[in-house]
Amino acid sequence: MLAVEIKNLSKFYGKFQALNHLSFEVKEGDFFGFLGPNGAGKTTAIRALTGLANFTEGEVRVFGHDVTREYRKSRSLIGLVPQEFNFDPFFSAEWILRLEGGYFGMPSKAAKVRAEELLRMLNLWEKRGQDYKKLSGGMKRRLLIARALMHRPKLLILDEPTAGVDIELRFELWEFLKKLNQEGTTIILTTHYIEEAEQLCNTIGVIHEGRMLTVEKKTDLVQKVYHGEIELELKQVLEKIPSELMALGASFDSATRRLKLMQSNGALNKALKILVNTGIEIEKVEVHEPKLEEAFLKLIREKKA
Amino acid sequence: MKRLIGFQTLVWREIVRFFTVAIQTLLPPLVSSFLYIFVFGLSIGKSLGDLKGVSYLHFMLPGMIMMYVVESSYQNASSSLFISRWANYIEELLVTPLSYTEMVFAIIFGGLVRSLLIATGVFAVSSLFVQLPWAHPFFVFYFLILVSLTFSCLGLVVALVAEEFEHLSIATTFLITPLVFLGGVFHSIEMLPPKLQTITALNPIFYMINGLRYSFLGVSDAPIYRSLLVVGVLFISLFSFTVYLFRSGYKLRK
Repeated sequence: MLAVEIKNLSKFYGKFQALNHLSFEVKEGDFFGFLGPNGAGKTTAIRALTGLANFTEGEVRVFGHDVTREYRKSRSLIGLVPQEFNFDPFFSAEWILRLEGGYFGMPSKAAKVRAEELLRMLNLWEKRGQDYKKLSGGMKRRLLIARALMHRPKLLILDEPTAGVDIELRFELWEFLKKLNQEGTTIILTTHYIEEAEQLCNTIGVIHEGRMLTVEKKTDLVQKVYHGEIELELKQVLEKIPSELMALGASFDSATRRLKLMQSNGALNKALKILVNTGIEIEKVEVHEPKLEEAFLKLIREKKA
Repeated sequence: MKRLIGFQTLVWREIVRFFTVAIQTLLPPLVSSFLYIFVFGLSIGKSLGDLKGVSYLHFMLPGMIMMYVVESSYQNASSSLFISRWANYIEELLVTPLSYTEMVFAIIFGGLVRSLLIATGVFAVSSLFVQLPWAHPFFVFYFLILVSLTFSCLGLVVALVAEEFEHLSIATTFLITPLVFLGGVFHSIEMLPPKLQTITALNPIFYMINGLRYSFLGVSDAPIYRSLLVVGVLFISLFSFTVYLFRSGYKLRK
């Protein structure tokens, strides 16, 4: 089953085209990282998905329900953690959650129980009676997440959930989200911290200028775009790169005495053998694993070039 | 039943919202109604004698109740929606499975509760001085409820159009207050020259005030069937228009 199906989605703000025939799918149970530079259209796509933005053209479905024609059904399945705090200022943290439960059709008692469960789970129970404006930035973030989870959504969408959150809390939230995903919630995450997507997501979609550049399994994307690198610091300067090493795509920098080659199956093993056999001593070995960040930057740069 | 929970929750939120600022929302009409009764009804009114066969105080009370119903329902809906747009927590509501009709109806229902509370309060204050006969009780509720819902809808429309807080009071100062006063809260159309009588007959609030006056006292400047019709048609038109604006996402879904 597909959690999200977006086909040919276009959106204009006046003359500016924010989304340009955007198409992609998210499978049920996936942890989907939605990446792209500022202004690429991530938030606009999420707003179209959740009913916060109209769109000019295209089709958007959530678990098979059209978000325009069957908006009540599609919205009941989504929990949204927006980028900005948008709480009702007339109510305390606990009541913000209980009201949210009510809007989604939870009877008062069930909403009260669920609110307590989430407030305790996200370490907000002590602050339940407080006006949200008096909460710290990290607490407000957690309250946003709690609010989105009140009605146990099948799809949780997080738009920059850890912006401005300290490292400790970020790690806590990561663990929380991983667990949620393991329990079956489909998650879409937009983030500026590529490390976050690398840690959490199974699938990565890269959006640029309102179009999807690629949607792939994280491991495939990383391998395909950027292979990683092996660097060997030698004790001596090489006069000439041995031909077997040339075959592995090696290059040598005399100033740093560093031999670089692309990472591939058995490349390190072969290089070490060749160097040992030719009597060249090695001082240091560094393996640069392929990183999502490099893959991402490479994709965007290629597109801009 | 589950379907009603979302609607009930939003109605409840609306009621709590105006109760938390009761000093601004519920008390002022009670104070000013006392002053109107004292100055116009008990002092100046005494020298005016009877109007359309009833005392001046009797004559002005239904109009005054209608004035507060119009103002409070407009204020309630317009400030509720505008603040939620301004502080962006309208988005909290827009992502819920509530239908647009439910959203509109819940907010205007909040305005109805506030204006009925105020009408009851003003009625209670007036009862200290005079007893209003309930000539047509069913019509009393017809006019109070539909006028309140109509002006709540107007409040929602203005709150969508408005870009700043002061736009909300522009509508009050230049449209609602003049129409209320010229609609005959404190005077009978018979006191005006014929041309002004004709112009007054174009003012929809004239029919609201006189409709309620007829319902309480059995006397009025406008035929009751016309008052019933104007109020009914206005409500249906404005309600449909407001739901249309919500559904189309005007200033709500960017």
